Amino acid sequence: MDPFSGESELVNVITAFYTHAYQTVLSFDTSSLSSTNKPVAQNFKYRAQIALGQNREVVSALSKSRDATSRSLVALAKNDVSEALNLAESSDSEDATVQICAGTVLGANGEYAKAVELLSKHQGSLEAVALLTQLHLVNNRTDLALKEVQAAKRWAQDSLLINMAEAWANLRVGGQEKYQSAYYVYEELASAPGNQSPTALVGQAVAELHLGRTEEAEAALNQALESEKPDIQAIANSIVLQYVTGKGNGEKTKELKGLLTQRDSEHQLLADLVEKESLFDTAATKYSAKAAS
Amino acid sequence: MASSPSMLTKFESKSSRAKGIAFHPKRPWILVSLHSSTIQLWDYRMGTLIDRFEEHDGPVRGIDFHPTQPLFVSGGDDYKIKVWSYQTRRCLFTLNGHLDYVRTVFFHHELPWILSASDDQTIRIWNWQNRSLICTMTGHNHYAMCAQFHPKEDLIVSASLDQSVRVWDISGLRKKHSAPTSMTFEDQMARANQQQADMFGNTDAVVKFVLEGHDRGVNWVSFHPTLPLIVSAGDDRLIKLWRMSETKAWEVDTCRGHFQNASACLFHPHQDLILSVGEDKTVRVWDLNKRTSVQSFKRENDRFWVVAAHPEINLFAAGHDNGVMVFKLERERPASSLYQNTLFYITKDKHVRSYDFTKNAESPSLLSLRKFGNSWVPPRTLSYNPAERAILVTSPVDSGTYELITLPKDAGGAADPTDMKKGSGTSAVFVARNRFAVFSTSTQNIEIKDLSNSMTKSFKAPTGTTDVVFGGTGCLLCLTPSNVVLYDIQQKKQLAELSVTGVKYVSWSNDGMYAALLSKHNVTIVNKQLEQVSTLHETIRIKSATWDDSGVLLYSTLNHIKYTLLNGDNGIVRTLDQTMYLVKVKARSVYCLDRAAKPRVLTIDPTEYRFKLALVKRNYDEMLQIIKTSSLVGQSIISYLQKKGYPEIALQFVQDPQTRFELAIECGNLEVATEMAKQIDKPKIWTRLGSEALVHGNHQIVEMTYQKLRNFDKLSFLYLCTGDEEKLTRMAKIAEHRGDFVSRFQNALYLGDVESRIQMFKEIDLYPLAYLTAKSHGMTEECETILEMTGLTEDQISMPDVGTGLNIPSAIAPTHKANWPTKEAAHSSFEKALLGEVGGPVDETEPNLLEEDMPVVAAQDKNGLAAEDEEEAAEGWDMGDDIGLEAAGNDSDFVNVDNADVPADSTGPGSSEADLWSRNSPLAADHVASGSFETAMQLLNRQVGAVNFAPLKPRFLEVYQASRTFLTASAGVPAIINYVRRNIDETDSRKVLPLIPRDLESLTTIDLQEGYTAMRTNKLENGVTTFKEILHSLLVNVVSSQSQVDDAKALITKAMEYTLAMSIELERRSLSTSGGEDSLKRQLELSAYFTVPKLDVSHRQLALMAAMRLAFTNKQFSSALSFANRVLANGGAAKLVDQAKKTKTQAERSGSTDAIDIEYDQFADFDICAASFTPIYSGSQSVSCPFDGAKYQTQYKGQVCRMCEVCEIGAAASGLRLWVQGL
Repeated sequence: MDPFSGESELVNVITAFYTHAYQTVLSFDTSSLSSTNKPVAQNFKYRAQIALGQNREVVSALSKSRDATSRSLVALAKNDVSEALNLAESSDSEDATVQICAGTVLGANGEYAKAVELLSKHQGSLEAVALLTQLHLVNNRTDLALKEVQAAKRWAQDSLLINMAEAWANLRVGGQEKYQSAYYVYEELASAPGNQSPTALVGQAVAELHLGRTEEAEAALNQALESEKPDIQAIANSIVLQYVTGKGNGEKTKELKGLLTQRDSEHQLLADLVEKESLFDTAATKYSAKAAS
Repeated sequence: MASSPSMLTKFESKSSRAKGIAFHPKRPWILVSLHSSTIQLWDYRMGTLIDRFEEHDGPVRGIDFHPTQPLFVSGGDDYKIKVWSYQTRRCLFTLNGHLDYVRTVFFHHELPWILSASDDQTIRIWNWQNRSLICTMTGHNHYAMCAQFHPKEDLIVSASLDQSVRVWDISGLRKKHSAPTSMTFEDQMARANQQQADMFGNTDAVVKFVLEGHDRGVNWVSFHPTLPLIVSAGDDRLIKLWRMSETKAWEVDTCRGHFQNASACLFHPHQDLILSVGEDKTVRVWDLNKRTSVQSFKRENDRFWVVAAHPEINLFAAGHDNGVMVFKLERERPASSLYQNTLFYITKDKHVRSYDFTKNAESPSLLSLRKFGNSWVPPRTLSYNPAERAILVTSPVDSGTYELITLPKDAGGAADPTDMKKGSGTSAVFVARNRFAVFSTSTQNIEIKDLSNSMTKSFKAPTGTTDVVFGGTGCLLCLTPSNVVLYDIQQKKQLAELSVTGVKYVSWSNDGMYAALLSKHNVTIVNKQLEQVSTLHETIRIKSATWDDSGVLLYSTLNHIKYTLLNGDNGIVRTLDQTMYLVKVKARSVYCLDRAAKPRVLTIDPTEYRFKLALVKRNYDEMLQIIKTSSLVGQSIISYLQKKGYPEIALQFVQDPQTRFELAIECGNLEVATEMAKQIDKPKIWTRLGSEALVHGNHQIVEMTYQKLRNFDKLSFLYLCTGDEEKLTRMAKIAEHRGDFVSRFQNALYLGDVESRIQMFKEIDLYPLAYLTAKSHGMTEECETILEMTGLTEDQISMPDVGTGLNIPSAIAPTHKANWPTKEAAHSSFEKALLGEVGGPVDETEPNLLEEDMPVVAAQDKNGLAAEDEEEAAEGWDMGDDIGLEAAGNDSDFVNVDNADVPADSTGPGSSEADLWSRNSPLAADHVASGSFETAMQLLNRQVGAVNFAPLKPRFLEVYQASRTFLTASAGVPAIINYVRRNIDETDSRKVLPLIPRDLESLTTIDLQEGYTAMRTNKLENGVTTFKEILHSLLVNVVSSQSQVDDAKALITKAMEYTLAMSIELERRSLSTSGGEDSLKRQLELSAYFTVPKLDVSHRQLALMAAMRLAFTNKQFSSALSFANRVLANGGAAKLVDQAKKTKTQAERSGSTDAIDIEYDQFADFDICAASFTPIYSGSQSVSCPFDGAKYQTQYKGQVCRMCEVCEIGAAASGLRLWVQGL
């Protein structure tokens, strides 16, 4: 049975996982699940743990298992590229979880082509589609991402994942209509019952930011920031918003940057900034005034 | 045959057989005449029996209201016709004449006539004013069952058991009875003769047509309200339609369907329909044009005898064996759906229209739904999907159908839908952007379908569900007769259930947080988790509800618009004269659809509920605003406030001292209470105030009340408590004065004044006590005196043990001097807001220099125009007020930077959107946003000779960082980076461009104003920073049109001029004041140069005033005079001008000469070198900054511009590009 169809018992786990509500995933009660779904749910729990940074726990829990799924989860936990490559080239590359885990490792470590090759072997796995879409987008292959989404929509229109993947692509493609449509996806997600994850809010805010609706974006981000442990991307996008609204040189930005450094000192925004600063300094040295004052 | 699922019954009564019915033309009343001889008057809206009239003997068959007068007429089996007044509730008179049962009676629509039909085979016309019979029509040869006037013409139609229908012409009768004023003798004669002729036959009323066709007796006949048509119902079970012309009448068609005697029939007042009732227990509706059955309704046990139509509204009544029922043929609630500022609705002629609330305009028809459902059944609901611009329409036809239609982009008139998908289901509603739910009562299934109308999932609805409505994204509210269930579609799970009976409609608040569940008589407000927030009951039917943006629910009943707050407080907003379906509230306007599906705007006064809402939310500022700007109705709001525990706020509304006093006591506001007590001045009030003040520990007020009440004892005790010895002494004196010995004694005790006590005892001849007192205090002399006075010796007295004298403890704290820290009177924040409002008109935004109200002359004298004072930057310019923030930018010169094309830099190939930006645009800012700093710098270097990029670093990074957003997707993979565009509508990758923050507009409205403020408030260092920032922001920027390019250039020049001016002044201030003549000379020069840059007039005045003052103090009278003249020429604030005038006169008096010769020629035209701050006279050589146009002495060529700090002075440059056509 397709675990992503609306009929599934797992819909809540998947929704929680893909809205990054990992605690919800972990606290999900699997006892009532059918025997086929139980291991699937358990895999999600491992992945949620990894996403929460509890890599060691996962590694120790699975160190004894030798099956491909466990090995792929361990590879994900250890961010082990060579193991991922092994798995990708082994006969186990048909397994959905192996594809996702190994694909994630490869994708995250710049093995774009390998990751795509592996993930393309999927058989009706929405997760694989979503991951592919994302990898294409990260590597600026919007055309391929769109193709992936369009193809998946034909057989799985109702899925949250495909909706989200489409929203990602739409945000990249742009234009009022596409932005708006991405916005709707996140808005729907945000207003879904029981949703506490900031992902939807951040997505909503990003879409609004692209739509030029800065006030609404700010409101959504502030809401996301209110939580005890604010979402990293909420912080990052708040910084962006500060700049967009021309308040980039204010106190708030400094504060947010401090917060971001504290939460994720290697965040793209910060790394990029350091790089650009040095780029600026190098570039600026090429010029000087003819006469000293 | 189509049968309607249920009749829309509005009212039912239980009684014996109803034979006659009449609607009141205006009021919601019906008269019902019963077989039991009673006539009932019902209010069908409220469902109450208003009155009963019982004077007939036997069944009453005919009944009719007078169209205008408070009268009605009835005819019974007692052969009598009675005319009644429903005001006086009695029978006015009886018309006798018929010789058998009277079947029907009707008033004429304008003449004072009554028409009756009787079993005596006659039809008679009576004049009810003179209570006489004026015409008897004979011709039927069996019972005359029914006779009616034509609604307009002088015609009568009658039906009889002789199987015929007759049409009578009564124009003769009208002529005869019309006003006889202008009648000639001949006419009168003729008339008399005519009347004579009456005796024999019919010249007044003649049979015009006899219509034969029924095979049995005819029970009822009616005219069409406008067309020459007649409908009749007979015992042959047929309904026959007849048409007539001037000369003839003929049968048109027959409606077959009744399977028992047809009792009555009529034409629908507005629609092409016929209604008939019969003894087969059915009410049937027929299409007038096709003569086919449209609807039928069957009662289990009751035969129908009569049917009547309301003359105006869509309402009918039918009488049967056990009473009457009032019903509607169709729902009048227009199907509609609101999205943001647009309402979509279906008109009566089945067109979809929209209404734009921002423009208050109705759109032309977007779509025609002519072919949808049954032509006589309007669509029930409409659901709108903004993402797809599609609508879902449901209709009850064929036990429920729906259609999904995409609205055309442009309202191209009443087109039939081209693309539509249909299906069957009772309810259909959008639940998400691309999903809708269809519910069918018969299967109890809910199906979720996508936009191609294919089912994606299906599940059982909660048992007993009758309707489903939107329940928040991804959820449905399932309505059952006793419950409402919140159902999650995704999880297929009930999330919550609430027991509320009979919910029919649901209205969601604009923010989707709350919903109002409407049932017939209840409104229940729930939150989105379906938890009940409040509920309220109405005795009258609730029709619709809509939410105010602030979270107030407005709902309409049959005759009111009311409001309710979330906490359940409710009230009436306004009355309605007809039913309205509310759709939106915006400020003072309520938008609604009326029964004809026409959008209406009603004006309301939202003050009351806004106020209450503000109160609930403790939004005191708003309350204050409301109090100040509107006149709230007194008493109700006061009692509301009091009830809600806000006496301190109620206090603000009350004028009446008594109430004010009560409220003040209640909220512990003693000041007000005292004030009021003084006004009222009654002992009772003072007593209450006193005890309240005592509780508060406010002894000063207590003292006052005691004084007012002349409560000496308490007063003394109070003084004792507070340690006020002085007043206590005075109390003792008063007591003495009053001759009150007890009081004197008390006071003496309190004071510890032994002498006066002894003195008092002596006065009242209580010598033993006096002696004892003296003795116990060891006052031997006094003892002896007393002994002497009494003529006794010590031995003669037996003394108790005296003990020690009373020792009065002395007061430690001087409590009486001030109140104790009293109980904090409950000054609510509201009161504070109010007091603050009254107290200080402190406008924080205004800089202090405008506040300084120092007389100019005094300031002059004191400061002696001292130069030192000027250096205190923080002090402001102190030149009086009114230096307003005038409109910006009118005297700036343009820097003409020509727009020579720079060849677009080709960068290396890249595939991210950021790379596209730099390829798409030749503008430096776009390159910065794309992260291509090198090319951006190249561009700037070529365009404006930028060489020193360091100051631009923050701007570069600002632009860069505003261009990328981060979107988390799958776990473990880096976030997706997206690129923020300024042309959001653009999808062509060759045209997309980045957003550049701090555009020209924001620089003008925010930064520039900031700079102005810095200038005005004399914060020059900040000002220089601000203006330099403006320069930097403009250097890396884009604009969107040629005119904006000009604006931007004007702003660059302006920023440069201000930077220059401020720099000069700062330079002057940095010079030591004691640096001798050279320094002074330089200072004077700089202060003069300060006036040169092209500042706005108001700011130039500041510079001029400063220069004038400095010059004057230093005896530079000529310069001072020139500055004064310039100030005067500019005009402006009175103080400024006064001061300038004064300076001018003094300077002139002092000889108009300068003590020091400075390099400043007031008559010459010159610029100031931005580096050396020396004049560059016109004609002499200079170089300038290619960006901001600042002028420099030639020796500065090649250096970095002092103003922008970026560009090279005198560099060859093509000019800054901010805009490219076609981008």
